[in-house]
Amino acid sequence: MFRLLVEKELREIIGTTKFAVTFGVCSVLILLAFYVGARNFQVSQAEYEAARAENIKQMEGLTDWGRIDHRIFLPPQPLTTLVSGISNDIGRTTEMQTQGELRSENSRFNEDPIFAVFRFLDLEFIFSIVMSLFAILFAYDAINGEKERGTLRLSFANPVPRATYILSKLVGAFLALGVPLLIPILIGCVMLPLMGIPMTGSAWGRLAMVVLAGYLYLGVFLTLSVFVSALTEKSSNSFLLLLVIWIFAVLIIPRTAVLISGRAVDVPSIDKVNYDKNRYMAQLWLEDREKMQNYSRENPPSQDGDMQAWMDDFRAFMSELSDVRNEKMSDFGGRLNEERRNRELVQQRLALGIARLSPTSVFSLASTDLSGTSLDLKERYIEAANRYQETYAQFIREKTGSAGGFMFTMRGGQDEEEPPPIDPYELPVFEYEEPSSTTLINDSLFDLGLLVLFNIVFFAGAFVAFLRYDVR
Amino acid sequence: METPRPMLEADGLTKRYEDGNLALDHVSFDVYPGQVYAMLGGNGAGKTTAINLFLNFIEPTDGEARVDGIATHKEPLKAKEKLAYVSENVMLYPNFTALQNLDFFARLGGNTKYSKDDYRQVLLRVGLEEEAHNRRLKGYSKGMRQKCGIAISILKNAPAILLDEPTSGLDPKAAVEFIRLLESLREEGKAILMSTHDIFRAKEVADVVGIMNEGNLVMQRSREELVGEDLEKLYVEYMTGYMDEVA
Ligand SMILES: Nc1ncnc2c1ncn2[C@@H]1O[C@H](COP(=O)(O)OP(=O)(O)OP(=O)(O)O)[C@@H](O)[C@H]1O
Ligand SMILES: [Mg+2]
Repeated sequence: MFRLLVEKELREIIGTTKFAVTFGVCSVLILLAFYVGARNFQVSQAEYEAARAENIKQMEGLTDWGRIDHRIFLPPQPLTTLVSGISNDIGRTTEMQTQGELRSENSRFNEDPIFAVFRFLDLEFIFSIVMSLFAILFAYDAINGEKERGTLRLSFANPVPRATYILSKLVGAFLALGVPLLIPILIGCVMLPLMGIPMTGSAWGRLAMVVLAGYLYLGVFLTLSVFVSALTEKSSNSFLLLLVIWIFAVLIIPRTAVLISGRAVDVPSIDKVNYDKNRYMAQLWLEDREKMQNYSRENPPSQDGDMQAWMDDFRAFMSELSDVRNEKMSDFGGRLNEERRNRELVQQRLALGIARLSPTSVFSLASTDLSGTSLDLKERYIEAANRYQETYAQFIREKTGSAGGFMFTMRGGQDEEEPPPIDPYELPVFEYEEPSSTTLINDSLFDLGLLVLFNIVFFAGAFVAFLRYDVR
Repeated sequence: METPRPMLEADGLTKRYEDGNLALDHVSFDVYPGQVYAMLGGNGAGKTTAINLFLNFIEPTDGEARVDGIATHKEPLKAKEKLAYVSENVMLYPNFTALQNLDFFARLGGNTKYSKDDYRQVLLRVGLEEEAHNRRLKGYSKGMRQKCGIAISILKNAPAILLDEPTSGLDPKAAVEFIRLLESLREEGKAILMSTHDIFRAKEVADVVGIMNEGNLVMQRSREELVGEDLEKLYVEYMTGYMDEVA
């Protein structure tokens, strides 16, 4: 009986022109998402290589390690380009300096605004639209449509247990929608290595998990649709209701969450923080200038004495001042940054909390976690850059004997011979390592669990609603 | 002439809907195997309610409906094994062909041994031309769909058949053929309960005629008792309430 009902469900859904058309469109979109992702990776990879080469090249011929302009770049990852998350919004280029705060710039969108337009072709976005619409389009009348056609009455004139019926509905619809969608997904997966995308085992595993999350998400909207259709008498009503729910889940809740949390939690703007830092800096300068003046007043260079010795003393004094100032500055800046960061975290947590009311946000969070493009990406990149900064500073110190900063390089007379050019390849290489799959998968577990929970709740809802449904 | 045990029994059957509407008020009647029981009555008299109670689509407020001695609200699945049903205005699955619709419902009713030829024969028997058998139902007329519905009920091969206005939508020729069909089903020993507005056909085929009015069974006569009577006149007499309403 169960099999018969499932088979009927499959045939009823798949045998329609509506299905053929919708499936065709969805397949094209999914394939396009894979294609655009892969192309995107190729382009990003090429840009990344070029930027690195350029970085080395512009250093060639320089003779002083203290004067180089060194940049590091966030390398593209195969999954990052498929599920872009925030990877296009954050600055990928970081100007290296031996001390002080690092700043990243040149986000993908920034460099290439047209790219922002194509963000909608990312796999996560396509899934979140395609899967949910697909489910709603084919399950909004799962129960009440049968009633309208009189087939519910006719079916229940036979010894059919209601539980069997509703189960077969859900299973049948899930198979009818889910299995065909595997085709474009699998073709898309085959495309990746063909297009030369270096997918690691970890990347494959996590891509599979993204697809799994997509299917859980499909399940959410499917059970929800069946649930709503078992709560209503008319399919036109359930369709309207589901459309409203869809708009809220996909469009409104994720955006409002950000708005609401933005209103509720005040985070000082970067500009404000920078302003405060600059003011503090100016104040420190003012104090130091006074000290410098005092120094030269109290220790005037003796007319006949050794000018060089005086200069050395003065330099030592300045260097000390500078060290103290830098320490103060970095303390102050660190505190401001941390305060801002804490406020930001509170805001973020609130936004995510509200956004998680929508299964679409939950899916999006799960898949960006899995792809390593969640909000954590920025954090990880900054951390990696900061770690690199230490290595870099160490390297420069070894090369120049000074940690940089305010250096007074005394250029001697012409008689000093030109130092040999530096070899930029000696620079320590910046390696950004993606966190392990275990870490990323662990990050996604909470949201995957939420998707399962959504499924269970709507499934139970559909089940109970149908047990009480008036089949006449 | 009849076997002692009725196949369909309404025993003090009462239904009060949630809104307080008393749709059926202690109605009792029996339908024996090999008998056609025609239920007449105006719109809202309670005919569909009675049939729905036999199918356990709704729970009785009082009394019970029994199929072959089984109370339908106590053992619905068991009772439904013995019931075939034709509802009014059944649309069936518009994307399935007639054969596919028949196959699905036959299997759902537990009959897995039918062949395509069996389906074709039944469809021909209810007057659906061969040409239509492999067409999707969305191109069907109301009467054609009704014929499919009737074919489905025949295929169930159940001892009791419930028909809710089965001839609605049928053209005169098809309606006559339907009467012939009922007669042959009666020959096979089926117990048939049919609600209808078609007084003439009811008189032609029914072994017992019951007239319902506002939830009450106001008249019940056997074929013998109706010989020489003008059923239409009787109907109007018992239905004055309804006629007043219309006027
Ligand atoms: N779900 C319901 N809730 C409340 N009242 C109902 C419901 N279904 C039917 N009724 C009422 O029960 C009464 C009997 O309805 P029923 O459908 O049994 O009539 P009927 O004899 O089949 O009429 P028709 O010839 O129009 O098909 C009517 O007054 C109707 O309004
Ligand atoms: Mg009726």
